[in-house]
Amino acid sequence: MMKKICRYLSPLLIAALVLGSLPVAAAPASPGSGLVTTQDALNVERTQGDRERIHEILARDDVQEQLVAQGVDPAEVEARVAALSDAEAAQMADQLEQLPAGASVVGALFAVFVILLVTDILGLTNVFPFTR
Amino acid sequence: MMHCRDRQPHIRNARVAGVLALVLLLLTLAGCASTPQLADTTERELPRRALLEDTPFHGQRDYQCGPASLAMVLNDGGVDVDVDTLISQVFLPGREGSVQPEMLGTVRRHGRIPFSIDGNLDALLTEIDAGHPVVVMQNLSLPAWPVWHYAVAIGFDLDEETMILHSGMEPERVESVKRFDATWARSDRWAFVALPPGEMPATGDGKAALDAIADFERVQGAKAALPAWEAFTERYPETAMGHFALGNTRHATGDSQGAIDAFEQAVAQEPDLAVAWLNLGLLHRELGEPDEARKALQRAVALPGAWQEQARQVLHDLKAGG
Repeated sequence: MMKKICRYLSPLLIAALVLGSLPVAAAPASPGSGLVTTQDALNVERTQGDRERIHEILARDDVQEQLVAQGVDPAEVEARVAALSDAEAAQMADQLEQLPAGASVVGALFAVFVILLVTDILGLTNVFPFTR
Repeated sequence: MMHCRDRQPHIRNARVAGVLALVLLLLTLAGCASTPQLADTTERELPRRALLEDTPFHGQRDYQCGPASLAMVLNDGGVDVDVDTLISQVFLPGREGSVQPEMLGTVRRHGRIPFSIDGNLDALLTEIDAGHPVVVMQNLSLPAWPVWHYAVAIGFDLDEETMILHSGMEPERVESVKRFDATWARSDRWAFVALPPGEMPATGDGKAALDAIADFERVQGAKAALPAWEAFTERYPETAMGHFALGNTRHATGDSQGAIDAFEQAVAQEPDLAVAWLNLGLLHRELGEPDEARKALQRAVALPGAWQEQARQVLHDLKAGG
């Protein structure tokens, strides 16, 4: 029974897949259909390799996951990632943990407190408002 | 704490004191405490003081200096958005802060273009003088124990050597230029202005602006970006890529003749810009002008590079098609 179904189903599936992938395969073969986009032209100008480009494109999925892990509302994640440029998305994907996050909190120990107090007074830092 | 004394803590205290003294000595010797200087040209062109009084202030809550700073510059540019909306769009709960790429992305979401500006006081003060409040990133502390912070620079006084910032809970906070620059330098002097399409930053050589507008167009589409490219080509008429981008955007918004004009401007500025010849040819072909198309494509084919093969193919198809 299963064999019979398979026999009929497989050619159909193959045909469907082939037809489905035709537009993708055909796209690069007919370059005359559309103008070269500004993004593509800029990428070539920056002599950006294909590997980097692919990396940047895949980066967006990565960033989505990371944002959810950082506690961002899943309903917001897609729009947030869509607003990033390719380079920014890649940067987020690669080094979100190292990126400085503007927050202004001091979780400092006492020794650090003293050093910062002194550097504040010297005018090198700006941690404590009362030193100005 | 103080009443439990024995010998060990004394030794440890002495060590801490020694380290402190050394740090102090090094800092003094390094001489990093001098007030940064402006270039002579900037000094001549700028007024002695400026203050963007109309920039609205939003006090930050908890760690939310990022959303608060964004609200200030966006409201200043006429975007009606409140801090709470921005918190859900840019704040990262896991990091208890906001990161730079998302600060720029959020500006795009609200239909404004984030232009990163050059990291120096000259550019910063020139933008303020041009009426653009500037979002700056600072590390208020030392590199080893960073306290990252976003603020909005809205004014300066060259005689007093002070900067004026909307920062944290404090509107129009006055800081010495020396202290401000020391804290700003620790973010590699990261700063940007958020401008409506059609308005250009007062500083920069155009390269960064070109990327900024292209990134904006990817998010907001051709129609929104059109005034930005018009303004760019007006400001930097010698930049061929600007005309090229304007051509694409005009084409995408249905202005074929305008697009042809722009592509022609692009190749007039830079006759070796193969991709502009290619698009000029493609567009002429689309408009049913095979002679013009052939002429442009032949120029593209003659230029070695990434577009040569595609141009050759299109030219071949065109000849085959008659």
